[in-house]
Amino acid sequence: MASLPTDLNHRLTSFDQGLTSAKRRKWRSHTLYYLVMVAISCGTFYPLIWLLLSSFRENRDIFMAPFALPEQLNFHNWAEAWRIGNMSTYAKNSVLVTSVTLICILLFASLAAFALSKLKFRGSGLLMLLFAFGLFMPLQSFFIAQSYIFEQLHLKDSYMGLILPYTGVGLPLAIFLLKAYLDSIPKDLMEAARMDGCGDFTLFSRIVLPLLMPSLATVGIFSALNTWNELLLAMLYIQTDALKTIPVGLLAFSSRYMTDYKLLFSALALITLPMIVVYVFFHRYIVAGLTEGAIK
Amino acid sequence: MLRKASPYLFALPAVLVFAFTILVPIVMTFAFSFYDWNGYGEMRFIGLDNYDRALHDRIYLSSYTHIFIYIAATVVLEVLVGLGLAGLITMGRKGSSLFRVALFTPVMLPMIVVSFLWRFVYNSDFGLINTVLRAVGLDSWTQVWLGNPDTALLAICFVSGWVYAGFYMTIFYSGIQRISKDVYESAYLDGAHEGHIFFRIKVPMIRGLVKTGIMLCVLTGFQSFDLFYVMTNGGPYNSTEIVPTYLVKVVFSHMSTGYGSALAVILTLVIAALGLLANKLGRKGDALEY
Repeated sequence: MASLPTDLNHRLTSFDQGLTSAKRRKWRSHTLYYLVMVAISCGTFYPLIWLLLSSFRENRDIFMAPFALPEQLNFHNWAEAWRIGNMSTYAKNSVLVTSVTLICILLFASLAAFALSKLKFRGSGLLMLLFAFGLFMPLQSFFIAQSYIFEQLHLKDSYMGLILPYTGVGLPLAIFLLKAYLDSIPKDLMEAARMDGCGDFTLFSRIVLPLLMPSLATVGIFSALNTWNELLLAMLYIQTDALKTIPVGLLAFSSRYMTDYKLLFSALALITLPMIVVYVFFHRYIVAGLTEGAIK
Repeated sequence: MLRKASPYLFALPAVLVFAFTILVPIVMTFAFSFYDWNGYGEMRFIGLDNYDRALHDRIYLSSYTHIFIYIAATVVLEVLVGLGLAGLITMGRKGSSLFRVALFTPVMLPMIVVSFLWRFVYNSDFGLINTVLRAVGLDSWTQVWLGNPDTALLAICFVSGWVYAGFYMTIFYSGIQRISKDVYESAYLDGAHEGHIFFRIKVPMIRGLVKTGIMLCVLTGFQSFDLFYVMTNGGPYNSTEIVPTYLVKVVFSHMSTGYGSALAVILTLVIAALGLLANKLGRKGDALEY
């Protein structure tokens, strides 16, 4: 070592020091990164955790010490909210309305998308224009007259009174997404099937529908969540308690028990938990479905 | 014969439902807007009087101010915050996909649950925000957040950001993922740090997506109803009144169906104009990119 020129020796040690300080900097930036991310996540989740914790407590305790932990996991509040709140009825209605709406949207939209993409017919351009128009129209531009029509036809206070408008609102986007996907499938496939003597309907059910499956999943997730969460039309069209969906049911419940916080917290927790569980298991599909549905 | 009719048969169910639930009501709403009518009694044709009244309706006009404030705030709190978050979770650190999945969670919740939950968070007695402020000795900062005309609108905007920042983050994340790795590698070799990479590479490369995000945020902003309805229903003193909440009051509480229809038509025209404008601007921007 002694034979090494002092200059080189000096350079080696400073190289060594440089390395450790780079490491230290890297470590510091990592710590900072995780601190920031954890802080953001806590900020996002704390209201939800607070909701869950408060649902186990008594009204007096919620008031006295909002941040304190519940003394025990008391599911009594949940049971009471479920029973008094008529939650099973609302849940049943939501499941029914959402599933029928979903089937209608997926079926009608894939039929129409097939016709618009693969069959040439007079007026198809005009139809696309109408559906494009529907994409941008807000609920407010038609709900006044829709409410009047439904009143006249006695569709209010019935499942159909929700299924019909939800299907109508969901169709334009579904048709656009499905048509865009079908447009990307080469015509040769269809031509070959036709050569083999397939009629339009066989072509649709045997070839197009299976091909559409992944896109149907995307559209389905998007439409199902929108329908499940819809409030405005459900609120205007449904007065009978036995027909209310979860959002309107919750609204009715809250106006009756506005100051019974533990019951409200429990009702909110009851509605939120299943959605979070579904999300945890299917997050990949849900995230893809919601973002793709929104951008296109 | 059947062959020729079949495209129409395929399109028929969708067209029927769409026409019945959307197209016909839009046309009828337009027609209603020229009448003085309470929804069931006699209809009296009054020409453009409803529109004239709308242009002098202080609450209606201020509801546009509120919605524009809300949209401007949500573009920042949802789109720009989402963009920043997307930058953070694409730094290639371990565990960032966990953060991505976690921050998307609020999007899953029904808006009505979000609204009630945040009404509690803002509650002046036991709400989280006031409790924290009291705990750190800032008693003078405590507010009746949703009951004060100065804070109510911003409080609602913040909740909207809480829900949707993660949503826009996910959209931008998928865009950033598509940027070729070579671009980053050469930047790292040139000694660029994360801040540089975010502003010089990530953001410019997904400019089109950011534009789409802003457009989406603006157009959906006009449609928001649940948050406003449940949290304040337009109050206090109409300080959070937006067109949809006001429409529901005019038509279903005051029974002014004709006047409400005129208000709805104006809103539709405003949205259509904005949509066309955005479309035009979007095209121009895209043309410049290549």
